[in-house]
Amino acid sequence: MSNIKTTMTGYISYRGREGHYSFLLHRITGLGTALFLTIHILDTSFVYFFPELYQHAIDLYRSTLFGIAEVGLVFCVFFHGVNGLRVAFFDLIAPRLWSKPKQRFSTRITMLITLLMWIPASAIMLYNMLYHNFGWFGG
Amino acid sequence: MATNSRVVSKPKPNFETKSWSFMRYSAVLLIPLVFGHLILQDVIVGVHRIDLDYVAMRWASLGWRIYDALLLAFAFAHGVNGIRQVLNDFIHSDRGKKIMHWGLFLFWFIVTAIGAIALIGGVRAIS
Repeated sequence: MSNIKTTMTGYISYRGREGHYSFLLHRITGLGTALFLTIHILDTSFVYFFPELYQHAIDLYRSTLFGIAEVGLVFCVFFHGVNGLRVAFFDLIAPRLWSKPKQRFSTRITMLITLLMWIPASAIMLYNMLYHNFGWFGG
Repeated sequence: MATNSRVVSKPKPNFETKSWSFMRYSAVLLIPLVFGHLILQDVIVGVHRIDLDYVAMRWASLGWRIYDALLLAFAFAHGVNGIRQVLNDFIHSDRGKKIMHWGLFLFWFIVTAIGAIALIGGVRAIS
């Protein structure tokens, strides 16, 4: 149990600023995406194993609660993807960029690109949800 | 830098080195695959227009089935290996790691097999 305590304390108390925050956010968004991906593979496989239950799964995804979660999921995937591409580029092509000033700059660019992709995407998803679930915009 | 430096030969790649590389190379492949899937299905089409007929229509084309097969193979392996790398920070005993690694392997294999069977079998009519 002390191992878990050591790791968790390290996660929280380490003061690595931008690099540290993007490490934590990368892990959290990755775990969230992996959890959803597992559920998503299983629900999609219903089309073969239990086709009569597939509509029930889709109805759950159409609910308002899942609609909001979907907006969060899209943020997780976009951030994890853009940040992952940054990490892959640094590690494989330009390891000299692993320096504090470059970290500070590149993590901010990563967040900016993520938000530029996420905000329009979530606006469309929220529009769809309000249209179908609440009858807004003539739905 | 320090004056008394020494040259160390690069160690031979082991499983962890290969897994480290896999995460980065698969990431490059997953960017177009996953972003494309998300933007198409969640944003452009939307969950309210997805049903059994939509999946049947989509899987009628071999290209989309190959696309989904690539997603299943690479995204889920990337995800489970990521879970393994996170858990490696928390589980330090050899025995614990062994149990965790085999447990996750089994988990990955079963879910991938279920997905692959559905992807090959396709949409079945409601009886």
